[in-house]
Amino acid sequence: MDYANLRRQAASLKRSLFDQGYLDEQFCQVEDLQDEASPNFAEEVVSLFFKDSARLVTNIEQAMEKYPKDFNRWDAHMQQLRGSCFSIGASKMNNECTSFRNSCREENAEGCRRSFQKVKREHAVLRQKLESYFQLLRQAGPARTTAVRSGGK
Amino acid sequence: MAPPEEAGGGDQFPVGMKVLVVDDDQTCLAVLKRMLIQCRYDATTCSQATRALAMLRENRGAFDVIISDVHMPDMDGFRLLELVGLEMDLPVIMMSADSRTDLVMKGIKHGACDYLIKPVRMEELKNIWQHVVRKKFGGNKEHEHSGSLDDTDRNRPTNNDNEYASSANDGAEDSWKSQKKKRDKEEDDSELESGDPSNNSKKPRVVWSVELHQQFVNAVNHLGIDKAVPKKILELMNVPGLTRENVASHLQKFRLYLKRIAQHHAGMGNPYGVPASSAQVASLGGLDFQALAASGQIPPQALAALQDELLGRPTNNLVLPGRDQSSLRLAAVKGNKPHGEQIAFGQPIYKVQNNSYAALPQNSPAVGRMPSFSAWPNNKLGMADSMSALGNVNNSQNSNIGLHELQQQPDTMLSGTLHTLDVKPSGIVMPSQSLNTFPASEGLSPNQNPLIVPSQSSGYLTGIPPSMKPELVLPTSQSSNNLLGGIDLINQASTSQPFISSHGGNLSGLMNRNSNVIPSQGISNFQTGNTPYLVNQNSMGMGSKPPGVLKTESTDSLNQSYGYVNHMDSGLLSSQSKNAQFGFLQSQNDVTGGWSSLQNMDCFRNTVGPSQPVSSSSSFHSSNAALGKLPDQGRGKNLGFVGKGTCIPNRFAVDEIESPTNSLSHSIGSSGDIPDMFGFSGQM
Repeated sequence: MDYANLRRQAASLKRSLFDQGYLDEQFCQVEDLQDEASPNFAEEVVSLFFKDSARLVTNIEQAMEKYPKDFNRWDAHMQQLRGSCFSIGASKMNNECTSFRNSCREENAEGCRRSFQKVKREHAVLRQKLESYFQLLRQAGPARTTAVRSGGK
Repeated sequence: MAPPEEAGGGDQFPVGMKVLVVDDDQTCLAVLKRMLIQCRYDATTCSQATRALAMLRENRGAFDVIISDVHMPDMDGFRLLELVGLEMDLPVIMMSADSRTDLVMKGIKHGACDYLIKPVRMEELKNIWQHVVRKKFGGNKEHEHSGSLDDTDRNRPTNNDNEYASSANDGAEDSWKSQKKKRDKEEDDSELESGDPSNNSKKPRVVWSVELHQQFVNAVNHLGIDKAVPKKILELMNVPGLTRENVASHLQKFRLYLKRIAQHHAGMGNPYGVPASSAQVASLGGLDFQALAASGQIPPQALAALQDELLGRPTNNLVLPGRDQSSLRLAAVKGNKPHGEQIAFGQPIYKVQNNSYAALPQNSPAVGRMPSFSAWPNNKLGMADSMSALGNVNNSQNSNIGLHELQQQPDTMLSGTLHTLDVKPSGIVMPSQSLNTFPASEGLSPNQNPLIVPSQSSGYLTGIPPSMKPELVLPTSQSSNNLLGGIDLINQASTSQPFISSHGGNLSGLMNRNSNVIPSQGISNFQTGNTPYLVNQNSMGMGSKPPGVLKTESTDSLNQSYGYVNHMDSGLLSSQSKNAQFGFLQSQNDVTGGWSSLQNMDCFRNTVGPSQPVSSSSSFHSSNAALGKLPDQGRGKNLGFVGKGTCIPNRFAVDEIESPTNSLSHSIGSSGDIPDMFGFSGQM
């Protein structure tokens, strides 16, 4: 019962994440990759993502300070981050990354900085939400995947 | 979501297919790996391109397909694509979050089998096995049927282009290919049509033995390369039983080879972007090598000498910087694998079918697609060019790295060895101006003009007389391989690379069997003495000597580089791998047969005799590099082409060999496509 409740909560959290655009279809694919052999695959990937992306965000930040007008460099870094976002379906964050890149292309330093702030913000928000999500899942127990998955859809 | 479907739906093949994923993004790697596992593939991930390349080089057969990200910190994805294509002839799939058309185009031009946009979905991954199969079988089929035209046609498809067309250069490839094709068509159209089809079809193949090739070359020289028409050549040669078609197809190949060399030299900057060294080539005076190579028997010394010439003689063509020489040598040496494996000289020449010439330039970045590495993939020749000339790995194939690399990075790739080869003489086969070493009969005077060049001594093909410079002789087997490889590279790019197999002995003229014949190198494996070495990389069946002869004298290296026909696979391939430099020399090691020129010429197509068996599978695996692909050895950056199978340009058995062994390895090595250099595919 408790589990069922938790599962429901997890499912609804997930649904909201989708509805609000934090996550997209790719996330479902990632979750689908879970099976008996790798029951926590999604969580592992997500934590890997955050670890990686935190590093990339720092890189971009440093690049922006060290190389004030080097748009190409910023763009290259951001491209990497964007690729990561794609892999797990972090769509809102991805959008911000794209707008950052657009600003780079226009060589709009101020626009870049603004976008970058947004990227960081989305990154933090997503991380927090996904952490709660996975925590719920963990608490909900093994059956959670199925339930959540369908719920999430 | 529904559980992921199984890949291959029940078909056994895709199951367990070995995939290597290269991406600096850990998240993506983790997700992809999982997806691949769910598709029941065998997935390995690697976050560094350099490490991935090392892994691949160590064991070519370890993977069937490679998926690589475009943007990576330690190496550009396209570059990796080329390298793999050239050296290993494995199918490479590019991947990126960036879906811009120009990038995708670049990927295709470099020979990528496919281009996935992130996020990659399971459905897309499920289909990747098709690329493996396609590459595996496509190359084989093509070899069988194609004549030089075919090769070019083959090259056209982007996927396979890797091998032939050095997709290295964005756009260059296209232009090059079309150029080549046009050229080929124009010139050889009539002849080709008559020649190739007949040759390729049921007619008994003409075995272009060293002697025969020599006669051919003499006739051509006598008439003048521009005026040499099959009919007259036939008359001059006065060989009973030889038909005009035979001569025509052989001539076509020869021309392609020359062109290729010229291209390489002329510019490495060609569309392919062939490495600069080609510029020098311009009139390859050094075609001598070619001649020598052509003769199929280029004593190793000759070859080495040739190489030196090519390399060292900046003047004509081979502007090879000093480095090149050594690299070439290395290439040559490397290429020569122990004879045993390589082409047995004397064995039928690999199907040098026309394809080899033209074929070499595979579209794929890597050296011509030669699926089977056995034949030196044209790429190889191209590679040779790039090197110095060799270095230019003809973009064949996926950006066959070989050529591409060569082209792009002329030096890096070939590590200088072939650079000088610049085989690109404007039509003259030997870039190196004086390949002199070729003149077989005459003792290769380095200054001899590029092989075929009429001016040169007709001896060019005739085995290089012992007087040949020792230097030319390709550095023992190893270097010879390189040369070949290098030349191969060059050829690759240029289309039938002129294989300057200057055999010291009676090279059957096998010279470049594949169009890829490494022009630059002048591979002329000049074997001193008349060892029928197949100078040709493509192991064109060196005629004159019995298989295995190649080894003669020092030529081991030569043989190796040429990936002789017989062994084509191993030879070529091996050299290739060794020759990291160009990739041409493919056979690094074993190319022994490389020159097995002409004797087995027809082997090429026919799969060159037993030797050919191309071990392709095996050799190809590694050989992929053979052809143009330089063995990873690291020599020089493997031009990438080397791989293709050091096999000498003929398709030598490439078709057969092509066996995907690497199946993935892009045809780079698989010179299978390489048309016989001289059309040996026919038999007298």
